[in-house]
Formats: sequence, structure tokens, C-alpha cells
Amino acid sequence: MTATTIMPEARSASATLRRNFWRGVWRVMKRKPSRMAGVVIMAGFAFMGVFGPMFYPEHLPRDTSALYAPPSWAHPFGTDFEGTDVLALVITGSRYVLLTGLVTAVITVVLGAGIGLFAGFRRGRWDSVLMRITDMKLTIPGLPLMLVLSTIWKFTSAIEMGLVLGLLGWGGVARAVRSQTLSLRERGFVEAARGLGLSTPHIIGRELLPSMAPYIAMNMLIAVTGAVYAQVGLFFLGVLPFEANNWGVMLNLAVFGGGALTTTAALPYLLAPLLAILLLTLGIVLVVDAMDEIFNPRLREE
Amino acid sequence: MKRVAAVVSLLSLAAVTVTACSSTSTGGSSAGGGVFTTIDGFKPGLDVNGPINPWNPKGNMFQGYNAMKLGWKKNHLTDPNQFYPGIAASWEIAPDNSSITLHLQPNNKWSDGTPVTAEDVKLSIALAYTQGSTAFSVDPGAAGAASDVEIIDDHTVKISQDMSNPSVTFVRGVMDSFVVPAHIWKDAVPANFWDTLKAARGEGAEAEKARAEITAQADKVLAFAPAKDVSAGPFTLERMNPGEALLVKNKNFYNAANVGPDQVKLLNYTGNEQIWNYLISGKLDNAPFTAVPADVMKRIGQTPGNAVVKGFSPVSVAMAFNQSKKPYDNVHVRRGLAYLINRDEITKIASPEGGTPALTTTGIHQKPAEAWLGSELSELEPYKLDVAKAEKEFKEAGLKKTGGKWTLPDGKPWKFTINVPAPFSDWVSAAKAVTSQLNEAGVSAEVLTSADYPLYLSELAAGKYDVGFWLVALGPAPYNIYQRLYGASNGWSILGGKIKHSAPGKDGNWMGSPETIDVKGVGKVNPGELTGKLNTAPESEQKAIISQLAKAANQDLPVIQLWDYVNTQFINTNRFTGFPENESDLLRETSGVWIQLGMIKKK
Repeated sequence: MTATTIMPEARSASATLRRNFWRGVWRVMKRKPSRMAGVVIMAGFAFMGVFGPMFYPEHLPRDTSALYAPPSWAHPFGTDFEGTDVLALVITGSRYVLLTGLVTAVITVVLGAGIGLFAGFRRGRWDSVLMRITDMKLTIPGLPLMLVLSTIWKFTSAIEMGLVLGLLGWGGVARAVRSQTLSLRERGFVEAARGLGLSTPHIIGRELLPSMAPYIAMNMLIAVTGAVYAQVGLFFLGVLPFEANNWGVMLNLAVFGGGALTTTAALPYLLAPLLAILLLTLGIVLVVDAMDEIFNPRLREE
Repeated sequence: MKRVAAVVSLLSLAAVTVTACSSTSTGGSSAGGGVFTTIDGFKPGLDVNGPINPWNPKGNMFQGYNAMKLGWKKNHLTDPNQFYPGIAASWEIAPDNSSITLHLQPNNKWSDGTPVTAEDVKLSIALAYTQGSTAFSVDPGAAGAASDVEIIDDHTVKISQDMSNPSVTFVRGVMDSFVVPAHIWKDAVPANFWDTLKAARGEGAEAEKARAEITAQADKVLAFAPAKDVSAGPFTLERMNPGEALLVKNKNFYNAANVGPDQVKLLNYTGNEQIWNYLISGKLDNAPFTAVPADVMKRIGQTPGNAVVKGFSPVSVAMAFNQSKKPYDNVHVRRGLAYLINRDEITKIASPEGGTPALTTTGIHQKPAEAWLGSELSELEPYKLDVAKAEKEFKEAGLKKTGGKWTLPDGKPWKFTINVPAPFSDWVSAAKAVTSQLNEAGVSAEVLTSADYPLYLSELAAGKYDVGFWLVALGPAPYNIYQRLYGASNGWSILGGKIKHSAPGKDGNWMGSPETIDVKGVGKVNPGELTGKLNTAPESEQKAIISQLAKAANQDLPVIQLWDYVNTQFINTNRFTGFPENESDLLRETSGVWIQLGMIKKK
């Protein structure tokens, strides 16, 4: 690539870099079509979460003469216990699930990365205090705590749910980011930045963070899947408030109300939310795979 | 997952099924009478370490098999005092209900060979006092409690009722008592128990102390664990593992000659799905009431030998209002809601196999309602689906409809929130269907679930909910039926034979009905006082009281009755015969009772 080697002036150089980055992204994507599929899936879920519910009326229509109806053109995943289209339930229910995932991921990453960076860069007393807090947090078992919390807190909004899951999930990220920071802060470029008298926020924000951004971004995506599993699990156990279109509630009602594990009538009702979770996970895994290569020069060179 | 069946059985209204097991299952030991395989509806989740103690909820004594009561309730439609013989072979009830004289089975022995005597009964009553039962209670306010236990001879015991605060349920309370061997259990209560009990019946500090002393024994009795099972029932517990309990025939049982099976196997289960799978594989010949989806029902029916028997179950489910909360204090709002709920559809969605839509709200299951009310039943308002009538009622209540949605009289949005315990899938489905119907009619409605049933009940009692699902019509005793509507949860309690009313929000009054209701064609009535009267009124007067209460409930709607449970049980006739027929009153007892009465025979 000649463009990268010429570098006539700073502005065009950064534009070229950006262009090259996107070219690199495109190349990585093209190399494995599955990665494209991952992006399409994730875009599809994002669309579904944002716009999906707008395609349906506030209260989904029911057909009480077709309870647990088998799949058909009108109802690709059949109907539920009161004759509501299962696909409509999955689509309208995606907003809560995805919003929770997003809130959890943001909180996990912001808290985890912030605490990790700060502790790793400052070291000393701050490091000890923050890492002890992190260790303590890591010892708290998430699911049992959520089970107890759910008896007093109804988690009616996705943001509340995401907040709690996020607050329970940042420990691992903080630990990993701290160790990365500890390693990076001894490198030459950080030494150089310090020698130039650059401020701590500059060093953390401009020197350290970009090196760790890919790792943090991947963790964020993985946190989304973790949050989806956790909340769907809690709803499945029946400890959280009832929302007919919540994926976990759908699984619960299909198994315990419809006997989906015993007979076939409620099977589509069980499979639809399961498939949605599976697809979402698949999309995230494929995108993380692509990101890994984009950000890891060693993989890119191959 | 727990289930409604569990509630029903806790209320001792469900019956358990006996299932014949294949002869291969216990290594040839089934020769002769064979092995029955069943589940105990009272014991979801067997506990290998549970004590052999009938009072302990985790105890390994199974009603009708190795746990015996004085008699077994028939739960007759209208007469609560009919029983099948248990430890007592026969009994005489004084005409004024003041006493019952029990004649024990003459040749009954415990499984270790010791005869069953009046002493065993007396000690068992002492043990029951520590746990507090209907008839054996030291609570000074308890109606229908025993005042004296007298041993007439080795096989005769007379139990008298405290007539200062009587109840027609006294006899039922006595008969519904477990009997355990005195020679094993004698150390579970102190030797001076009866003196303490006498002191506890008085008044003042001394009596208070004595009462505390007796109730303090409760935990000790619950924890009492005999080393081995000594039973006067048809079976004794042989061994247990986490998957099943094996019981073998008790040769000393009074009716041992007629006991069909040699062994009974009780399988462990923790949720309905396990029971469905047992039934589909043909393991169970008979299972107690279990909520079953229509498709699973079909699948169970395909297994050779499986059949369904149905009978009466004195339980209905209703939606109860907290009238301390607006707008549910307004009867027109409650009536309007009743007109918007399609009970046929709710039942079809939530309990297609185990329920029939309630005819209307009377507070009574429709079968005894027919017996008690006769033609008056058809004169009551049926609250059939009628949107126009609902609108009229809502308007009368001052509610306003703006933009297709009903709002409160002051124009603020109205959110109708129904609470249900999450583990009861049929209630959850029903609540969801109710909200769907209401939403379609412009009433903004939602379902909220509680993590488990005990938590649900405590929050309901604390007045935290606007509307919640509530079991009603728990018969057959009329007092028991109506105390679900006009009892302690609605402010009326009986204290020292007198009815006392507590204001809404106090003493467990979460329903908050008005103290008097002007009932059309009857006049002003105090439903709590009328309910209290059912405790003492002779049968001839009960009918008139029930008629007034049914009218009051139908007009005032403290609850909206949704469906009446049907006791749907499964049997498998491949290996055993002699099961109760449809509508048999024995369907309300465990299959252990069927066996001990000599009905079940090997095919």
C-alpha cells in the first residue's frame, strides 16, 4: 500500500489511516462470509429491538380458537396458550432483552475498564483498595443474589434489570483491564509520553485506552450474551414479574404450562425464544471473531 | 415447580393415586399382591432424611399408607361430618355436637404387634395440641375446640367440645387427627401435659404461661424421629432413596386380609412434568389431581391401561379485590369487571382439564351450590360477558372513557394489576387471559407475579395487592366455605364465641368489604356475622343463612369466581382393579385409603 508510506501531511494521513482501517475491516469480513452473517444478524436484532414493537399493536391480537396452534404461514412459530402469535411475542419481547443486554454491557465495561485502568495505572494504595473491592465483588454469587433480590425488587424496567446485572458483572473486566494496564504502563511509548510531560488523563485516554479498546469492545459484546442468559434464566425460573412476551417467561410457560418437553403442541412456543437467543449469541460470536482479527495485527498479516 | 395441585393437597382436598408397578421393578418381590406405584400428592419432593413423623411437613409418613387418622373425610357436598373408618371403626356424635364417642377397631395392632388402644389416641391428641389443630387448640379464641378427652375403656374414647365457643366443624376436626403409637411417642410430650392443658384453659397469667408451654413443645414434636416405622396403617415404611419410598404390607393391620398389594412404591416428584412423564410411561396406575395441558392429557390417554376418573373437588378459584384501594371500593367497578371477564374462555385457556367455568359468583362450588341453593341459584345475576352492562356499571362508578381507555373519575389513568404466584402456571395463564380480555375492553391491565406461594400469601395479607387470585369455596363445612369471603381476611374473626370486626388494614383484613351490605330482597346484612352463625346453626337454619350469603356475595362481589376445580385423576387398570368410579367421594382421599378399605385388587 503506497498510500500509507507516503504521508504528505498529517490530516490526509489520518484520513488514509481511517480509510485503510475500513478497507481492512472489509477484507476481514470478506475472508469469512460467516462474519458477514454475524453482522447481518446483529443488525437484524438491533432493528428488531428498536423498530420491531412498532409493527404490532399495543396489545397483541389473540385467537382463542387456536390455542397452541401448530406452525403455519399466518403463525410461523405457532401460537401460545391464549392463541397469540409466538413470532409477534418474540419480536415485541426483544426490546426488553436487548436493552437489558446493552445496559448491562455498558455498565460492565465502563465500570470494569474505569476501575481496572485507574487501579493499574495508579498502583499502590488505590490499586490495593480497588482490587480488594473487586475481589469481594467477584466472590458474590450472581444468580443466588438475584433470586433473593427478586423477592423485594420487581425489575419492571429493562434499565433496572440491566443496572443490577451490570453492577454484578464488572469484576472480571476490571481484573483483566488492570493486568493489561500494568503491563502496558511499563512499555516504551508510555514512558515516552510521561517523558514528554503529558497529563495522566492524556496518557490513560490517548495512549492506554486505544490499546485496550478491542479487548474492551469484545468484552462488551460478550457481556450482552451474559446478560441475556442471566435475565432469561431468571424469568424462566419464574422469579421475575410476568411479561407474556419476555423470552424467559415464554420458555417457562412452554415447559411448565404447555408441557413442551413432554409433547409437541407447545414445542414451537419453546423453540422460538430459544432460537432467538441462539441466533443472537451466534451473531455476537461471529462479530467478536471478526473484531479479533481486525484489531490483532498478527492475525491480520496471515 | 410447585403447582395448584400442591395447594389443593395442602388444604387436604386432593386425593392421591395408587399406581400398579410392573413386576420387574422390585426384583420379584411383587409376587402375590403386587407392587403399587404412586405418588403422594401431599409430599412433593421426598426427603430421605425426613423423620417418620406425620406432623412434620417433610416427614416420611404417607396418609392412608403408613399414616393413619381416626377417620377419613368424605367431603360430602353439604355434610362435613361424614367419614370412612380409620383408627376408629365407628363413632357416635351427640345430637348437639357437644361430643363424639369413638370406638376403635377391635383387633387393630401396630406393626410391632402392640395393640392399638385408647391410650394411643389420647397421646396423639396431646401431640395434636402442640401443633394446634381445629379441634385441639389452646388458642382461647378457637371455635370448635375440645374441652375434655376421656378414656371410657381400652377401645373407647369420648371427646367433648367446649360449648362456650362451639362449631359444627368440631367432629371433623377430631376425626381428621393422626394417631401414633403411645409406646413410641410417649417421651415427645412431658408427663404432666394434661395438667398443663387444664391450666391453659383458664384465664390470667397462669393460663397464658401454660399455653406458651404447650405451644413451645411444637418444634420438639415436629423434630421427633422414631428409629423405625411403627404403623397401624396397611403399610410400613421399609426403605427410602431419593427417587422413591418403598412401603411393605403391615400384617397386623386390622383389614390386612383385604389389602390387595404387598408393597407400595411412592415415587419422588418435584414438578408436574415428572408426573406427566410417569403417566405417559405407564408407571402410575393412578395419580392425584395434577394440572395437565390438553395435549399432554391426550398423550397420557394413549398409554395402554390409562384412564381418567373425575370427581368433585370443593375448591374454586377467584379474583379477590382489596377494597381499601380505589376504585375497587366501588361495587360498580367490581361488577363492571365481572361483566368483562369471559369465564368460559379463561377456563379453556387456564384449566381445560381440571376446571369448569363458574356459573356465577356465590362463594360456593357449583355442585354444593345446587344442593344448598336449589332454584335460587338460577335467580342470581350470572355476570355473563356483556360489554354494554360493564360500561353502564363503570359509568355509574364515575369512571370515564377517554380515547378508548377507562380512567379513574378524576381523569387519572387506571391500571388494573392482578397478582399471582409465579409457580402456579394455570393461575398465571388465567391472569394473563383476564388482562387480555380487559385490555381489549379498554381497561389497562397487567399481571404481576410473586416468586412463591408463601411470599404471595404474606404480601396479599399485608394489603400490598389491588387484586389477587384467591382459593374459595373450601367446603364442605358451610362455615369454612364462607370464611374465605367473610372471615379473618375480610375483618371478621371469632373471639370467645363472639364475632369481632377489624377495620380494613388491621388484624389481617386485606379484603376490606363494608361491614354491612344492603342485599336486594333480604335487607341489610352483616355477612361476617352470618358466616359466624354457620358455625353453630343447626342444619335446618344453615340453608337460609347460605342463601343470604350467596346473594350478598353475588351482589357485592368481594371476589369474582372464575372456575370450579374438577378433581381429575388418572388410573391405570393394567395391573389392578377396583378403583373408585367417577364422582366417588373416595377420590378425595389418597389411594392408601382405597387400599385399606379393601377396594384395590391385583388383576
